[in-house]
Amino acid sequence: MEKTDEQIITEYLSGDREAIRMIYVRYKTRMFNFCLRLLGNRADAEEITGDVFTILIEDCTYDPGRNVRFSTWVYTIARNKCVSRMRKRKVLTSLFFHSSGQDGFQEWDPPDTAELSREDMARRELTGHVLQALEKLPFEYKEAIVLRQYHGMSYEQISVILNCSLEKVKILIFRAKEQLRGHLASFIKEERS
Amino acid sequence: MNEHEKLKELISRYIDGEVNEQEKSQVEALLKESESCSAYYKELRNLNQALDVLPEEDLSPDLENEIMSALAKGMREDTGMKRSSFVKMTVGGGVAATLIIGILSLQMYAQRSIQGRIRSASDDIGDQYSAGKTSAGPYQQLAGKKTRQYEPYYLSTDYSVTKTEGHSPARTREKAAGGLAPSKIISVEQEYWGGDGDAAEDESWRYNPAFHTEEYDRIYENQFMAVQENPLSTFSIDVDTASYSNMRRFLNNNQLPPEDAVRIEELVNYFTYDYPQPEGEDPFSITINGAACPWNRAHQLVRIGLQGKVYQEEEIPPSNLVFLVDVSGSMNSANKLPLLKASLKMLVRQLTGEERVAIVVYAGAAGQVLESTPGHYKQKILSAIDRLQAGGSTAGGAGIKLAYNIAKQNFIKGGNNRVILATDGDFNVGVSSNAELVRMIEDKRQDGIFLTVLGFGMGNYKDSKMEQLANKGNGNYYYIDTDREAQKVLVQELGSTLFTIAKDVKIQVEFNPGQVKAYRLIGYENRMLAKEDFNDDTKDAGELGAGHTVTALYEIVPAESTETFRSVDDLVYQQNQVVESQDLMTVKLRYKQPDGHKSRLIQQSIRSGEMADTPQGDFQFAAAVAEFGLLLRNSEFKGQASYHHVLEQAARAGGEDPYGYRGEFLDLVRRAQQLDRRVDEDIYYEDGGGYGEGGIQFKGGTGSL
Repeated sequence: MEKTDEQIITEYLSGDREAIRMIYVRYKTRMFNFCLRLLGNRADAEEITGDVFTILIEDCTYDPGRNVRFSTWVYTIARNKCVSRMRKRKVLTSLFFHSSGQDGFQEWDPPDTAELSREDMARRELTGHVLQALEKLPFEYKEAIVLRQYHGMSYEQISVILNCSLEKVKILIFRAKEQLRGHLASFIKEERS
Repeated sequence: MNEHEKLKELISRYIDGEVNEQEKSQVEALLKESESCSAYYKELRNLNQALDVLPEEDLSPDLENEIMSALAKGMREDTGMKRSSFVKMTVGGGVAATLIIGILSLQMYAQRSIQGRIRSASDDIGDQYSAGKTSAGPYQQLAGKKTRQYEPYYLSTDYSVTKTEGHSPARTREKAAGGLAPSKIISVEQEYWGGDGDAAEDESWRYNPAFHTEEYDRIYENQFMAVQENPLSTFSIDVDTASYSNMRRFLNNNQLPPEDAVRIEELVNYFTYDYPQPEGEDPFSITINGAACPWNRAHQLVRIGLQGKVYQEEEIPPSNLVFLVDVSGSMNSANKLPLLKASLKMLVRQLTGEERVAIVVYAGAAGQVLESTPGHYKQKILSAIDRLQAGGSTAGGAGIKLAYNIAKQNFIKGGNNRVILATDGDFNVGVSSNAELVRMIEDKRQDGIFLTVLGFGMGNYKDSKMEQLANKGNGNYYYIDTDREAQKVLVQELGSTLFTIAKDVKIQVEFNPGQVKAYRLIGYENRMLAKEDFNDDTKDAGELGAGHTVTALYEIVPAESTETFRSVDDLVYQQNQVVESQDLMTVKLRYKQPDGHKSRLIQQSIRSGEMADTPQGDFQFAAAVAEFGLLLRNSEFKGQASYHHVLEQAARAGGEDPYGYRGEFLDLVRRAQQLDRRVDEDIYYEDGGGYGEGGIQFKGGTGSL
């Protein structure tokens, strides 16, 4: 049986420092992609991801006794870091320039698109639209739907991470979906005969 | 929210599985009754699918490295809390060597630990803290001090004994993981370098690009086999040289390579030796000679050398090459993609026009960048190589499939059909488990397509995966660490790299119990075959390229030796009659033509009288390389091997060195000599051997561990 995150972190906190490595392996991609979706920019996402692991290494305040899942806890940390980064950015952008939020983040583009199949092309186009649609969402919608869609969090966990009521989570996710549905309408409309 | 919206919200939640029983039946009823509701439901499902198209991005290797070294540092600091002297060392070092010792051993431990956890095996040798599991049985008590000194912790039978002797687990681990860091040396250095903590903090990762997630298969060294019990030794040839260049990369970074990264046969085979050109119809010649073993005077060393036929350019059949290039995010660093491009360009410039070249790339997905193009369209091929960029995850499995398909479409009958895979081996999308990849490649092998694996980069280098791929894919495997190595593999030795003259080459040696008591094959650990496999033509084995030389070394114990090796009692119902013969051994060799399915047998023997006193010339050089390998592996069979001795032998053997490889070898030995602190200070040549009266002085060789 694979150990749960909570078992590993308990071992870690009780002195098995190597255990943190397993946590790192399990969470590195998740943390990075979460920050990337929230911030929309690679450089910031990398920085925050680094910060999250620094906290884990240097000052891990997770308490296994408190009946909060480790994943919830670590996402909360990451989310709060992202929020303060967004605030900082707002101040900066209003003073100096308008940031599209896309700088530094580029998808790998194959050199010769003629070689791609039609399916690949369609997929590529859709990926671009999805990214744009997510980018257009208000931040609080975005964090809710990202947690739900890409990180498989339950509404309950999301309410803990976003520090709000379950009712609010329901509304946030619903609104997010409604907006996405609008932005991506041409891709998802059922064709009616 | 109005009623209408509430229903929509309910449907959305239903899709997310966040409804209670009552709501669930409410929605299900709605979906049956109302067409607009079910249309909305479908739209949301489509939205889910559309959103899922977004790919997962990888962290940049830089960030990974940074976090990994922060992790390492966190651990070391923690260790320090328990043992204050240790922390002084970690923050006090301004010297790469000090840091590297600590980190090398940590990283080896870490690798073991992660792998162990993933397997979640309760392997109690690897499990540091399950003290209860390892009881100090009689076996452990038998194990003397010496083994403890040299064995990695996971080999060490007396592991728990070490613990009960009062070492903290952390410290035991420190020294045990590779045995690189004798505590005494650390304490000397920490006093010497003690001081500025900040500097060390920064340098911990800068000096340490190799805090790595590299993977190497564990090598269990061949043991001495008693001839009476095991008269036959069977193995497949290995022409790979990757281990040598990988080792060089470590040493050039002032680190000792992990023991499992050192495959001695690949070190020996990195160099070409002057064996006679083959005569007659067989495409290679066999040379056997023997002499006293340089690192254990009581033993003898026998060398078996194969020389593949050298072909003229016009004799080489046309090639159909498919470059399969890894352009995933992990390749995005100076010693990977740019070096890869430069290497492929070197290869392309060699093309004469008889060849066809296609390029397939893979990252998150696999795609064809250049269709199969005749070799004289050099500009077209070169510019396609130029356009390669890195990014995304690594769907290696899909790439291999596509490359083999293209190779098959453009198959040249009787030609050289080959996929050239250039990667760091870190596959992480789709088919990525070793077993699955191997199975896939074994399937493709049937089509007569060969595989060449070119390994690049460091940090997350997956040596084990790539070696397996090449082994299974009728292929060869090189590690490209520098332009120079690319030059060697892809220009000077292009013929042997690309053109296979014999496949499934197996060697079986029968020793004469009347002359030999025991033998040990040096290296070839992962090439060993069962004795039955020798005559079984369905069993895969190594390939020999045009002009390749392959060298295998046996350390043998003469029959008159007093050492004992037998482990099994005499049989009661069978008696073995030893045939009277002066032969030392008989070497049998089987090979197939590159497109053949039936093997041919060649046989040759050596008489015991043909042994020389000491290895001479090329033999001496090969022996020195093997001795170096034993030292790097910290082999239990290294006898009196020493860096000093290696240097002297290699320098004396010299030989022709047009490209400076042998000179470079001497440099590497010197480097390792400076780095290696495992060497026992007691080594002393009793016969003098010309090393002066005081024996050999080793740097840092202090105290017992």
